[in-house]
Amino acid sequence: MNTINKNLYLFWQGTMLSYRALFAWLRPVTYMASKILMPLAQMFFFVFLGSYASNGKNVDFYVIGNAIQITSVSGIFGVTMSVGGDRDAGTLPYLFGTPSNRFIIFFGRAFMHIIDGAIGVVIALTWGVLLMGLDLSHTNLSALGLTILVTTFSTCGLGLLMGCLSLLTANVMFVNNFVYFSLLIFSGANVEVTALPAWMQFVSNILPLTRGIAASRALAAGASFSDISPLLVSEMGIGLIYGLLGYFLFSWFETQAKQKGTLETV
Amino acid sequence: MNYGNIFKYWRTVLVVAEMSIRTQFSDGFVLFAIVFQPMIIAILALFMLREKGSDYAVFVVVGSGLTGLWSSLLFVSGNSINVERWTGTLESLVGMPTPFDVIVFGKNLANVFQSLLSMIVSYALAAYLFGYPLSLTQPILFFLTLLLSMFAFICFGLTIAPLFVMYRSVQQWQNAMEFPVYIMCGFLFPIALLPNWTTPLSYLLPPYWAALALHGTSTAMMPFDQLLFSWSMMILFSIVDLIIASQLFKIMLYKARVDATLDVD
Amino acid sequence: MNAIEISNLNRVYRAQIGVFNRSIKEVVAVDDISFDVQAGELFGLLGPNGAGKTTTVKMLTTLLIPSQGSARVAGFDVVKQANEVRRRIGFIFGGERGLYWRLSGDDNLRYFASLYGVDPAVSKKRIPYLMELVGLQGRGNERVGGYSRGMKQRLHVARTLLHDPDILFLDEPTIGLDPVGAREFRNVILNLQSQKKTILLTTHYMFEADALSDRIAIINKGRVIALDTPSGLKGHVSDLSVVELETFGTPESVLEKLRSLPFVDALSVEDREQKQMLLVQTKRGAEAVPDVMAALDGQRIGRVIVREPTLEDAYVRLVGGQA
Ligand SMILES: Nc1ncnc2c1ncn2[C@@H]1O[C@H](COP(=O)(O)OP(=O)(O)OP(=O)(O)O)[C@@H](O)[C@H]1O
Ligand SMILES: [Mg+2]
Repeated sequence: MNTINKNLYLFWQGTMLSYRALFAWLRPVTYMASKILMPLAQMFFFVFLGSYASNGKNVDFYVIGNAIQITSVSGIFGVTMSVGGDRDAGTLPYLFGTPSNRFIIFFGRAFMHIIDGAIGVVIALTWGVLLMGLDLSHTNLSALGLTILVTTFSTCGLGLLMGCLSLLTANVMFVNNFVYFSLLIFSGANVEVTALPAWMQFVSNILPLTRGIAASRALAAGASFSDISPLLVSEMGIGLIYGLLGYFLFSWFETQAKQKGTLETV
Repeated sequence: MNYGNIFKYWRTVLVVAEMSIRTQFSDGFVLFAIVFQPMIIAILALFMLREKGSDYAVFVVVGSGLTGLWSSLLFVSGNSINVERWTGTLESLVGMPTPFDVIVFGKNLANVFQSLLSMIVSYALAAYLFGYPLSLTQPILFFLTLLLSMFAFICFGLTIAPLFVMYRSVQQWQNAMEFPVYIMCGFLFPIALLPNWTTPLSYLLPPYWAALALHGTSTAMMPFDQLLFSWSMMILFSIVDLIIASQLFKIMLYKARVDATLDVD
Repeated sequence: MNAIEISNLNRVYRAQIGVFNRSIKEVVAVDDISFDVQAGELFGLLGPNGAGKTTTVKMLTTLLIPSQGSARVAGFDVVKQANEVRRRIGFIFGGERGLYWRLSGDDNLRYFASLYGVDPAVSKKRIPYLMELVGLQGRGNERVGGYSRGMKQRLHVARTLLHDPDILFLDEPTIGLDPVGAREFRNVILNLQSQKKTILLTTHYMFEADALSDRIAIINKGRVIALDTPSGLKGHVSDLSVVELETFGTPESVLEKLRSLPFVDALSVEDREQKQMLLVQTKRGAEAVPDVMAALDGQRIGRVIVREPTLEDAYVRLVGGQA
């Protein structure tokens, strides 16, 4: 096999294995409960709260914001667990003992979650149309599709970084939950970013999701692809930066662990 | 159980609660559910409901505190028995003369008590970060309601935990049960916004009556007869929960000793 | 009165095998066991892995419902009067689980003491005494998560003595302890024995059972195959001597040949790093040595010893004869 094929194979193997290992314990019911119903209920809650706040005027704003925010279920929880899963299973020493391409292993962890997250958003938007009167008739749907993919990608980038951080801390779930819920505020899903205090706006602007949500809202209001493409480019860039930061942290972590012999104890 | 037990074993209940709090304060997951999640929800709601004026600050403080109560009940109290199984302590606890439901009662007491912390944190946030004036319209009745609500929550938790142990199929829905209760119990918006057919479901949930009475005594002047009605509903549900729980505990413990499931491996 | 009375006890596990093609497999873990343990006696329960020791102990400690038969502990039925039994017993299932790792050692004890209904004034004095007894003095305010495995096991011992029970069930309490720790542990047990406590002990260490037990039951595949005092059990093999030979990688075919010799009653092989110890049980004593050596012709042989049989030899013969 040539190198490209070998790496493709490795990528695919890593992807499938990590995804399957993660969901092996899940039965279809659990999958449905935690990946379809939970996000849906969460979306309903914030949409009701938002429509109560705006006296029913601004429902689409909340539906779109919360539907897109659902990518972070896969992007944060899914990816983090895939990366951190190796530590819990004690397979990390074996992984670091192989000569395989680290870059491929690392990004293989995120791949399935991008697809999974995008599907989650589509389901959520569908509920929005069916149950909450979301109107997508003036929307460039292929542009929206691309926006969803890009946003999911960038959220997974953040997930990769956090997954690596989770190798360093014992309280993985705490960090995950914290970031996940903070995104509800900072991403503009429920509060206009411009209504936040200046320091919070700054945080919003360096997080994934913010631009993706803004682009989706613009598209729903009838904007064209060229109107939102600058947003998508920056969203993509942000995702890449987080992903690469994660990758460097992962490599650093490996060298540290090997030097200090902390592989087993981490 | 024989509910005289709670009085007979009050000292044990308190020690269990104390140790529960000690263990959980270094548990990131629990800390998040109890303090941080309601805090973030409070911040969000304060931003979102800003247009409604400062009156809503108390409403948000109470409502987000209730979300914290429910989440900790669902995830922490709900798992309280399973957690003992995972640590390997369930056998020791069952093989003891103290009735097992007394122990779980103590653990739930700790959880509910900890959740009050989230209400205090939201209160501080609203008062100092957002600068809202905060006052309760009927303070004495509010605190009485709070005590009663805590008791109702504990009793509700006593029925959930054995169900989660006995029926994995029920526990699988745990993640999906968090937000629906926020919605149906009117924690942060009135249930009048919901479709009519959900109203009877709300009436069946003890947290709905707790939310009604807590909001009523903190932001409005709830008429006393309505308040009394909410109180009666909470007491009624608590009694029913206790009766159901005592049966569930009996069945659960017997079944676990037949099926050899007190230990995990 | 007997502290423990077991009559025709039986326990069947139903395990589900296969995910798709679901079928139920039944395992008879304990098969019609009966014996009594007298008050103040130290009773050893021996048997190979999976023999049913833990299952028996769990039924006696009210944690498992027997499938058939009955047992009384301290005069009370373990199913119908479980609570009366629980008040009077303590138990340890070896290993380090079963403690609250986030709490300190003292807090763990305070917690369990309150669950046993020990008066707070009493437990205040008793906890430091027990910590001292198990050699954990001065470590009580550290988190249990930071204890070594042996320390956790000692804490378990302290835990089980909080309410001063009359009857103790110790399931492999010394598993994983270092030799010094295990010896100290045996001293603790001897101390308890001198206080007239009834103790039911399971262990895989034969010398431990030999040194401590008044009587021993050996169980295999859920059945009692021998019940006697340690010397009585050794009597089963008193006519035998044991020839111990150190060898290096003897092939199975040669071992078969050795086993088939008429004067060899039993042969067991222990692997020790690159060495092998062959234990040949024979009635011919030292006279057998030349013939054994002849059978091992061509193999590298190290030390050769002829000795009296031990409890372990009796055990090997009894259990091996069943296999
Ligand atoms: N929970 C269970 N479900 C199904 N089978 C079980 C269960 N617990 C034990 N068994 C089976 O019952 C038999 C007896 O097990 P038990 O644990 O009592 O043996 P033991 O004598 O304590 O062994 P060891 O020396 O390894 O501790 C074994 O075949 C075991 O596989
Ligand atoms: Mg055992």
